[in-house]
Amino acid sequence: MKTIEDIPDRQLLLFKSCMVGQEYPGVETSTRYVFDRLGVDYCINDEQSCCTGIGHYTDIFEGLTTTAIAARNFAVAKRCGYPNITCLCSTCYAINKEACEVLNTNTEIREKVNSIFREQGLEDLVYEKDDMNVRTNFYHAVEILLSKANKIQEQKKFDFSGVKVAAHHACHYYKVKYLDVLGNPENPQLIDTIAAACGADMVRWYEDRTLTCGMGFSQLHLNKNTSLQVTKKKLDSLQKAGVELMIHMCPNCHIQYDRYQPVIEKEFGVKYDMVHMNIAQFVALSMGADPYKVCGFQTHSVPLEGFLEKYCQ
Amino acid sequence: MMPYVNEYDTPECKTLAETAKKSIRTPDSLGLDRCIQCGACTASCPAARFTDYSPRHIVKKVLEDDRSVLESEMIWSCFYCYSCNLRCPRNNSPVTIVQVLRQMAINEGIGVEKLAYFLEIGEYLAENGASKIPGPGVKNMERDLGEHWIKFKKNLESIRVELGLSSRDIRNTHGEVQAILEGTGYFEREKWLKAKIQEKRLHQLLKNQCVKKEDKSGDFSFENDRGYTGQAALII
Repeated sequence: MKTIEDIPDRQLLLFKSCMVGQEYPGVETSTRYVFDRLGVDYCINDEQSCCTGIGHYTDIFEGLTTTAIAARNFAVAKRCGYPNITCLCSTCYAINKEACEVLNTNTEIREKVNSIFREQGLEDLVYEKDDMNVRTNFYHAVEILLSKANKIQEQKKFDFSGVKVAAHHACHYYKVKYLDVLGNPENPQLIDTIAAACGADMVRWYEDRTLTCGMGFSQLHLNKNTSLQVTKKKLDSLQKAGVELMIHMCPNCHIQYDRYQPVIEKEFGVKYDMVHMNIAQFVALSMGADPYKVCGFQTHSVPLEGFLEKYCQ
Repeated sequence: MMPYVNEYDTPECKTLAETAKKSIRTPDSLGLDRCIQCGACTASCPAARFTDYSPRHIVKKVLEDDRSVLESEMIWSCFYCYSCNLRCPRNNSPVTIVQVLRQMAINEGIGVEKLAYFLEIGEYLAENGASKIPGPGVKNMERDLGEHWIKFKKNLESIRVELGLSSRDIRNTHGEVQAILEGTGYFEREKWLKAKIQEKRLHQLLKNQCVKKEDKSGDFSFENDRGYTGQAALII
C-alpha cells in the first residue's frame, strides 16, 4: 500500500488528459493554480501523447500498441527530468501503471516494443527494465492534493462549512491497481479528506458509493440505456442524501455526471438539485481562484451560478 | 479473408483459460483457476444489475472451455469498471478476461461492427497525439446535450485561451506516435477491421433480402441470452 509519506511534490510530470483538454480544460488550470500555490514542482510537456485509454477500453487498440505508446511517454517523462507521472484522469493513471508493470515483468513484450522502436529509428525511446517503478513513479493529482491537505486548509479563502458535499472516487484509480491506493480501496476517502480541509460538510456514506459513474467507455455510446440507468441510480441516491455538490476526480465521470444529468432529468422525468466539480476545481475555488478564468465553470452543463452566488460571495 | 490475430492479446493456446492467462491484458497473478464461483463479481457488477450479464457465468464458460461464449452478446455489456477485479476474493479478474474474450471474438469477425463507431480514434491519435470523442459519439452528444453543448464546443478554443492554455490540445510527438502505430501493426489491423465490417454489412444486407431470419444466438446457458440481442447502437 502507498502511504501519504510516499507522495512526492517534486519532479511531477502533470500528465495532460485528452478529455480534460476537450471538455473541462478548467480542471487542468485549476490543478496548476493549486500546485503553484502549494509549491509543487511540476512540468507539463506537449511531447506527451494520449495514453490510448479511450481506444484501449473501446477494444480498438491492442495491448502491444498501448504498451509501446506508454513506453514512449515514459521516455518523455524521464528525458525532461520529471519522471513522476501525475495524472488528471484515472484511466491515464491505470493505463500507465499497467503498461509499466508489463514492461518491467514481461521480457518478451519489452523486447518486442524495443525492437519496434529500433526498426522505426526511435532508439532514444528504448525502455530498459525498471526504467520506471510501478509503485513510485505513478500518481493521480488527487494524491498530491491529499498530501497537502493541511496546507490547503491554511490557505483557503472561502470556507464551505455547511455545504453538503459527496465524493465519487474514480474506478480506474482504486479498482484496477487496488493494492496501490492511498487508504482502503473498499472505502476510499481521498476526496472526502481534501474537501473537508476546505470546510465542506461531507456525506461520508451514501447508497452505491462505489458504483461506477456509468460511462463504461463503449457503453455510453452502444448501450446508452444501461449506461444512463447506472448514472441515474447514483444521482438518485445523492439526491436522497441531500447532496448539493458532487466532487469527482476523472473527466470521464465528469462528462457522465455533469453533461448527462440534464439528459437523465429529461429522459426519466426526474429533477436533481446537485452541481458537479472536479476536486482540483473545488480546491482552487476555495483558495480564491476565479470561477471562470481559472476553474473554467463556463464549460459545465449543470450551471454553477446559483452555487457560487450562495457560497462564494 | 485471412483472420488477423493479435498474438499478445490473444496468444494461441489449447484452451480459453490458457489464452486468458497468457494475454497481455490480464495480470500475471490472475486467479482464474482459483475461481470458486462465489458470485462476488456479479454482485458488484453494474451491468449485472441492469442487464442479464453475469461475470461469474462468463468465467464459468471460460473454465469449461466453452467457445460459444465468444458469440454471446453478453461479453459486450461489461463497463470495464473493474469492480469485480477489486472484489474477487481469489484475485481473479473477470473484467480483464472479458477484454481477452472480446479480442478473440474480434479475431473471428464477431462484434466487429461495434468497433466501427470508434475506429477513427487511431488515425486521430497518430495525427494529433491526442484522442477525441469519435465522430458518431459527437453526433449522439449533440443530439442528447443540445444547443448548450454545441455552443460550448464552438467556443472551446477561445475558452482555452481565456484560461491561459493553447487554443487546441495538440501534442508535439514528432511523428513518433504515427511510427509506433505503424510498427505495432495497428494500421494493418485497422485495415482488416474495416474490410471485415464492410463484408459483414454486405452479408447482412444479402441475408435480409433472401434468407429467412435464423436465430443465431444459440443456447449458451445464459438464461436469457436467446432473446438478448444487445441494445441497438444509436448510430453506426
